[in-house]
Amino acid sequence: MPLEHAMPGRLARWVSAAEPDWDAVYADELPRIYNFFRYRFGVTADAEDLTARTFEKAWRGRFRYRRDLAAFSTWLFSIARNVAADHLRARRPFVTLDEAAAVTAAGTPEEQAIRNSDGERLAALLQQLPDRERELLAMKYGAGQTNRAIATATGLSESNVGTIVHRAVQTLRERW
Amino acid sequence: MDDTQLNSLRRDPSPAFAARLRASLREHDALRRRSAWPGMKAAAASLVAVAGIAGLLSVPAVRASAQSFLALFRVVNFVAVPVDESRIAMLEAEKLDPPHLIGEQMQMLEDPGPPTAVVSPEQAASAAGFAVRVPAYMPTGVYPSGIEVKGQAHLQVTADGDRLRQVMDTLGISDLEVPDGLDGGIVDVRIPPIVMMRYDRGGAIAAQLVQARSPAVSLPGGIDLRALGEIGLRILGLPPVEAREFAAAIDWQSTLIVPLPANASSFKQVDISGHPGVFIQRARPAQNGGRGPIANALLWSANGMVFGLEATGLSYDDSLRMAESLQ
Repeated sequence: MPLEHAMPGRLARWVSAAEPDWDAVYADELPRIYNFFRYRFGVTADAEDLTARTFEKAWRGRFRYRRDLAAFSTWLFSIARNVAADHLRARRPFVTLDEAAAVTAAGTPEEQAIRNSDGERLAALLQQLPDRERELLAMKYGAGQTNRAIATATGLSESNVGTIVHRAVQTLRERW
Repeated sequence: MDDTQLNSLRRDPSPAFAARLRASLREHDALRRRSAWPGMKAAAASLVAVAGIAGLLSVPAVRASAQSFLALFRVVNFVAVPVDESRIAMLEAEKLDPPHLIGEQMQMLEDPGPPTAVVSPEQAASAAGFAVRVPAYMPTGVYPSGIEVKGQAHLQVTADGDRLRQVMDTLGISDLEVPDGLDGGIVDVRIPPIVMMRYDRGGAIAAQLVQARSPAVSLPGGIDLRALGEIGLRILGLPPVEAREFAAAIDWQSTLIVPLPANASSFKQVDISGHPGVFIQRARPAQNGGRGPIANALLWSANGMVFGLEATGLSYDDSLRMAESLQ
């Protein structure tokens, strides 16, 4: 007798999944990953490209995700950081964040002009920060992560993350 | 400069980009499906069987030296594996039906026979040997319409390392070795009685509740079960790296590998009365080959029992309420 007659076939066909609800994940994580790359590299086109690469890697490797080891956003961010590192190694020329702001800013022309002006200044200052500080600011302000989440993702202590972020923000304020 | 300014550069991704990326991810799965064997109906039967083989190949255990068996496989968790239907087609082309994946000598020690109709849950409980649970909640218009009990199945397969090697060769799995100790060993499979309760609405089936004690599978002692599980995952079509990582990560003592249907439109983990379960939604194929009605399935385990509720035309909330109302 074939096994399919012996096994509880309906049960075998039903699926499980230690897998997240991808619709919800997509809605929640897409803006965070996208803004992480915007703050990190500052180019809308690159941000979209890098975001797409991150999600495609995550989608292909979703069966490797272990819910018991990390929150999904942490796992996804580890992929995003790897994508960012690959991008840095490729040494592609960057365009500043102000271009991105100019492309996507909404509102009246006056509002847009003011926003772009601040964006230009902030983008320029971000570009001057050391890479580590820029990454942490991208995680905190671009992706909206807490210091604890950043510490988990980077392996730094939470207090160390706070110190680096504080120092970077101080630098930005001084140069503003 | 304050946090407001620091946050001011955030933007939502453009809707066009979000839609494009989403479509790209869907296309990734669509490509997998387009490569599948076209005979989906026949493949579906094979998937069930391969799921069984995956269970056979991927169950671990606790030493029971008296019988020189590894007693194993009590379902607690379920893990989805995307099935490569083209792999199934290759197996069928080679006439390697699932029991013969690991050995040609199979002995049915206890034949469950066809399902038997019973008239009440009490009678089903008597026939199955466990306390049958029934839903206290019934969606509007849904009523119980029949109960069947399938008897216990007990079979043994004599494992044949050469046969498994042949299967692996057929599938192009050349980087893995058949674990030592498998050849000549007895794989023992016991599938306890299954109670199937049907619920209709308007004369058509609306839901089916299935409940059974967990199946149990034993493998010969001394086998590298993780390696065997990795082979099973590769047979199901997982890429090498994923299969290796997955095999290393999974808890083989309590996890049933089940195939992810190609027509699964969504699935997620759920909590059913304090027990972890999964919910899957999929479109049934229509007669004309198009997209048919949506079917929901809940699968969960509790206290050594496995439950499944498959519903057609019921909402997620109704399915969940039915499942949670079992008593």
